[in-house]
Amino acid sequence: MNPSPDQAVVAAEALTKVYRRAAEDVRALDGVSLTVRRGEFVAIVGPSGAGKTTLLNLLGCMDAPSSGRLWLEGREVQQLNERGRTHLRRERLGFVFQHFGLVPTLTVAENVALPLVFARRTADGRVSRLLEKVGLSSRRNHRPHELSGGEMQRVAIARALVNEPALLLADEPTGNLDSVTGEAVIALLRQLNAEGLTVVVVTHNPALAGAAGRQLRLADGRLAG
Amino acid sequence: MKTSWLILPWNEWRRRPVRTGVTVMGVSLAVAALFSLVAFERGYRRGLQAELDRLGAHILVVPKGCPYDAASLALHGANWPCHLSADYLAEIRAVPGVKAAMPALMSALRDPAGQLVVYVGTDASLLGLRPQWRIRGRFPEHGAEILAGCELAHRYGWHVGDAVRLPGLTNVSATICGLLEVTHGAEDYFIHLPLAEAQRQFRRPNELTHVLVRLADPTRLDEMVRQLHGCGAGMNLNVVPLTHLFRTFQQLINSTRSLLACIVVVAGLVAVVGVANALLMAVGERTREIGVFRALGASRADIVRVVLAEAVMVCLAGAGVGIALAVAGARSLEVWLRTRLPLVPAGGFAAWDNYACGACVLGAVALGALAAWVPAWRACEVPPQAAMRGLGGGW
Ligand SMILES: Nc1ncnc2c1ncn2[C@@H]1O[C@H](COP(=O)(O)OP(=O)(O)OP(=O)(O)O)[C@@H](O)[C@H]1O
Ligand SMILES: [Mg+2]
Repeated sequence: MNPSPDQAVVAAEALTKVYRRAAEDVRALDGVSLTVRRGEFVAIVGPSGAGKTTLLNLLGCMDAPSSGRLWLEGREVQQLNERGRTHLRRERLGFVFQHFGLVPTLTVAENVALPLVFARRTADGRVSRLLEKVGLSSRRNHRPHELSGGEMQRVAIARALVNEPALLLADEPTGNLDSVTGEAVIALLRQLNAEGLTVVVVTHNPALAGAAGRQLRLADGRLAG
Repeated sequence: MKTSWLILPWNEWRRRPVRTGVTVMGVSLAVAALFSLVAFERGYRRGLQAELDRLGAHILVVPKGCPYDAASLALHGANWPCHLSADYLAEIRAVPGVKAAMPALMSALRDPAGQLVVYVGTDASLLGLRPQWRIRGRFPEHGAEILAGCELAHRYGWHVGDAVRLPGLTNVSATICGLLEVTHGAEDYFIHLPLAEAQRQFRRPNELTHVLVRLADPTRLDEMVRQLHGCGAGMNLNVVPLTHLFRTFQQLINSTRSLLACIVVVAGLVAVVGVANALLMAVGERTREIGVFRALGASRADIVRVVLAEAVMVCLAGAGVGIALAVAGARSLEVWLRTRLPLVPAGGFAAWDNYACGACVLGAVALGALAAWVPAWRACEVPPQAAMRGLGGGW
């Protein structure tokens, strides 16, 4: 396979990740190649321990592969140093976690504004607009513990979008939600994708996987099918 | 609107109020000790200088063999260990460059209630040394006349013109011809009387305890000391520049100063360890949150900055509490020090000192920076993928 780095948001070639443990090496990811084009909604599915989170970590510049190459928006990630990767995460990537990852002492609005703080940028109404988009304008001064799980995850999605990323990465975004509240999150992700956002989710949730335009099945660190 | 990164350390500070409170208390103890040390150090120096200025003299002359630190303690009002002949006074006065020489015969007695009364026999040359004195009435001229310090007058209910029995002496009466208004010095507790009368009452005919010398030109101090040694009576005299004397006092309090300094150092180290420990716990508990920050684009420097700011905020809060504690406890500390120190300047130490306050703020910032070192290093080592770990619930 020959990735075309210029058009793809993500292009990966033979990504391999080996975790060294005391006794044996764990080959969590074994030669994964994939391409995600702009505007795509991709779901990565597979059994537990298949390497889904490991793959998402690599795509999100949070970890370095043991071997293989990765391009994000045509830029080869291996050639970036720690600062370059931090910059990439801050400016081009948005993250959503299964555990939401909200700061409990900050208000909803402050949580959404957090990436702006790290980017030393002013909000210019973005926080309000995003809260409106995720339907939580009335909760902007609430603390996370005053929200339901689904509301927390919507706040986390608003936070992931505040720096206008090219790619949204989500690891089990509905994993801590029941099916009803999960629906709202899935609907939101679909809506954002329809508006042009590129989305990659890791999930066990068939409803979320079904909402994606394409499914990648991972088993034992390899892409199947 | 721009959200400040300071909300992060600020909120962390509030997240665990009890732990933060305990940490702040630890810092405040160290700061209180530092404040007290600096305020004491500076207050003592200032107090000694004020005392020196009040004496109005540059040189103390005592008999040879008289340990001069003992003599100088006696300037505060005590019994003197030795005496010198009044005949030397004329020789001292004859040395060129001596502007005024005040003879004194000092004796300290206890009144029936056990309280100290200090008698000083002298002459009107004293007034040349103490231009700042305000006397209601006049200076004693004849036997049986006294000038009483305001605190004594208050203690015994004396007024100008009263005929009183002299406390500590049996069956001796005198008329109060003058009251010395408050000087904030030891002299508020003194009774001044004519020299001849003192020599008679204390059975020291023609003797003095000391002579205070004021120079025409204080900058020629060393030369004047040599000249006084060279005069006819010089062989029998110990000529002590008062500035040297006060330097000796500074050395006498060295042990107290080192004790306080040790307390400051130990308290500071304990506070550093306490703050570092609290921060390490906070960093450990927040590993995943720090991972989230890194995933959202926080640099390692951002993380260091947050932890550092947390430490400095806690330490500044500790500085505030510590300074308040030190100011509130200044009186008690002074009472305690008075029982330990050979000489505490009359008037005591000021409770407030801008310089000490500044030293405490700087010290607290330094303490925070020191304590933040290891926790900040650990925090910035947290990798962004820590954000993915731990599926435990919560937010
Ligand atoms: N930091 C690590 N050190 C060692 N081994 C690891 C580490 N992280 C993951 N692994 C191993 O790599 C393999 C893949 O893990 P990964 O977390 O990517 O799986 P996953 O597909 O996300 O599973 P799940 O659905 O349970 O979240 C597993 O065998 C896991 O034990
Ligand atoms: Mg996983």
